Amino acid sequence: MTGGLLTTAVGSYPKPDYILKSRTKVSRGQMSKEELFELEKKATAHWIKLQEDMDLDLLVDGEMYRGDMVTYFSEEMEGFDISGLVRSYGNRYYRKPIAVGPVGRSSDITVSWWKYAQSLTARPVKGMLTGPYTIVDWSFNEYYPSREAFVLDVARAVHEEAVALEKAGAKYIQIDEPALSVRADEMELGSRALGIVTEGLNAFTITHTAEYTHTYAESSELFDIIANLPVDMLDLETVNSDYFILDLFRHRSLAPDKYIALGVVDSHTHEVEPVEQIKDGIRRGLEVFPADRLYVKPDCGLKTRLEDEAVGKMRNIVTAARELKAELGIA
Amino acid sequence: MQTTVVGNYPKIGPGAQAPSLRAAIQRYQAGRISEDDLHDVAAEVTKEVLADQARAGLDVVTDGHIRWDDPYTYFASKIDGFDLNGLIRYFDSNTYFRQPVAERKLAWTGPITVADYRFAAENSAKPVKAVVVGPYTLARQSSWPHYNSLQEVVMDLASILNREARALADAGAPLVQFDEPAILRHKDDLPMFREAMSRLVDGVSSKTAVYAYFGDISGLAKEFLSLPFDVIGLDFVMNPANFDLLGDFPADKKLGLGIVDARNTKLETVDEIVEQIRRASNSVGLDRIDVSPSCGLEFLPRANAYGKLVRMVEGVARAQEVLS
Repeated sequence: MTGGLLTTAVGSYPKPDYILKSRTKVSRGQMSKEELFELEKKATAHWIKLQEDMDLDLLVDGEMYRGDMVTYFSEEMEGFDISGLVRSYGNRYYRKPIAVGPVGRSSDITVSWWKYAQSLTARPVKGMLTGPYTIVDWSFNEYYPSREAFVLDVARAVHEEAVALEKAGAKYIQIDEPALSVRADEMELGSRALGIVTEGLNAFTITHTAEYTHTYAESSELFDIIANLPVDMLDLETVNSDYFILDLFRHRSLAPDKYIALGVVDSHTHEVEPVEQIKDGIRRGLEVFPADRLYVKPDCGLKTRLEDEAVGKMRNIVTAARELKAELGIA
Repeated sequence: MQTTVVGNYPKIGPGAQAPSLRAAIQRYQAGRISEDDLHDVAAEVTKEVLADQARAGLDVVTDGHIRWDDPYTYFASKIDGFDLNGLIRYFDSNTYFRQPVAERKLAWTGPITVADYRFAAENSAKPVKAVVVGPYTLARQSSWPHYNSLQEVVMDLASILNREARALADAGAPLVQFDEPAILRHKDDLPMFREAMSRLVDGVSSKTAVYAYFGDISGLAKEFLSLPFDVIGLDFVMNPANFDLLGDFPADKKLGLGIVDARNTKLETVDEIVEQIRRASNSVGLDRIDVSPSCGLEFLPRANAYGKLVRMVEGVARAQEVLS
C-alpha cells in the first residue's frame, strides 16, 4: 500500500444486541458457548461487510468475541486464574487475571478468529494482540517475584502468538499497549517487552498506546522511548487531547522507517464529526508527518458507540481522506 | 500496636448477607427503585462492612466509603462551585474518577459526611475514624477555570475541609484522617502544602491523621513527618524506601504502617508481616504504630480484602509477642 492517507480502525466495534444478550445467557447457563460462537461469527461477518462497504483500506475483525482485552488473553494462556469482581468506576465491575504459575502459550489464541475474518474479504485484516506490559499491569500477580520477570514471560507468550498469526498469513499485526505510559519508571521495560513480541516478524507491526501522554511529554528521554517503540507504526490517540501530542512530534523528525496512525475522530462522543472537521484534523497531522507515512483512524476502539455512530464516524473518515487525497494529488 | 484500614472496602462480594449494591444501583438507574430504597441498601452494606472489619479483629474501622463512587466526587458534588467532568485514571491504577471542575468560587454549604459518620458510629462495634479527602490532592486532581493558581484552590479547599473536619469532630469522631497521596508526586509544592495543612487542622478537636500512599517521602522526610497531625500514614508496599526514611520520626506522633498490599491478591504470611513491623520498630516504638494495608482495599475482590485483614491481625499479634 502506497500513496498515503490510508484508512483503518483501531480494533473494536460495537457489539450487536444479540451478542450482548447471548453473553449474559451463556454466563447464566441458558445458552451454549457453541450457539454464542455462531452468533459471534455472524457479527464478525457483518462488520467485515460494513467495512468493505465503507471502502476502508485496512480492516479489523471488530472483536465481537472478546469481553475485555486483557481477560480474553489470560483465559487462553497457561498460568492465569481469574479473580472475583473489582470495581473500575461507578457501578462497573470486572474480573482481573491472577498469575498463579509460569505464564505460557500452549495453543492458538487469536489465529482462528483472524483466519475466519480474513476469509471473508480480499482486503487485509489486522491480527490483534494485547501487549505484555498491559496484560501484566491489569493483572494480579501471585507467582512472579518481580514485575519484570512477569512482563518478560508474557512477552514471550505473546511473541509466539504473533508468529502463529504471521504463519497463518497475517500481514499486519497490532499489539495494543494502552497501559504502556502509565508509569515513567517502567516505560523502558514496556518497550523492551514489545521488542520481544515483534522480534523477527516480517509482518507490518502496529502498537496503540492510549492516554497518559503527559507522562512522556515531561521528558525527552521518555518521549524517545515512545517515538522509537519497536514497531512499524505508532497508533496515536489525538483528538481526545486536542492534538496536543502532535506538538511533541513537531520538533523532532520521525524516524524514516516509522508510520503514524492518527486519531481523527473522538471514540467517546456520540456526535459524528463532519467531514470538513475531520479534514482539518488530517491537515494538522500533515503539518507534522508526510502523507505517505500517515494512516487515519478513530482515536480508539469504537465498542462503546452505537452502531450508527460508529459507522457514521468511519464513513466520514474515509470520505475526508478521499477528498484530501484528491486535493493533494495523492494516488 | 493497633490495626486499622486506610479507607475504602469492596462494596460487593460473594457470601454477602446484605442486598447487592451493584444490583440496587442498576435497579435505581432503571427507575425501578427510589433513591430512598438505594440509600437503605447502602446502609445495609455499610453495616455489613463494619461487621466484617470487626470480625477480622481490627481496632479502628471506617464506614468503607460504600456511598463513594471515587475518592473525590462524593465531596466535590457537595462543595458549592464544583461541577463534574469526564473520567480520568486514578493515579497509576486501572480505576477512574470523575474530574471535579471549579467553575465558581468554592464554598462549604453544610456537612458532607457527618450523617454517614454518625450512622457508622451507631452501627459499629469498634471505633470509627472519619476519612476526608485532602485539599491538596483534591485540588491537584481537579481543574479550576475559576481560579488563577493552584495555591488559591488548595487554600480555599483547606478552609472548606477544615469546616468538615470540625463538624466531624463535633459529631464525636475520635480521629479525622485526610488522604494526600498527590503531594508525593509534586514534592516541590511542600511549602504550600504545609500552609494548607495548618489551616486544615486548625481548631479540630479530635485526633488527626494524614495518609499519603503510592509514593515515598524521600527528599522531604523530615518536613513531612513533622506536619501537624497526630498520625502520619505511609505506604511501605509500593515504596519500601520509606523504611529507611523514619530516622526523624517525632516522638509525639504515631506511624500509620501500610504493609499489607492492598493492590495485589497475593496473601502475605505472618512471618512477612512480623518482619515488616520489626523493620519499622527500629525507628518507631511498637506502641506508636498503627498497622494497616498500603491503601484502600477496593482494588481487591472482597474475599481477598477480608482475608488480608484477618492475616494482618494475626501478624500483628505475633509481632507483639516476638518483638515486645
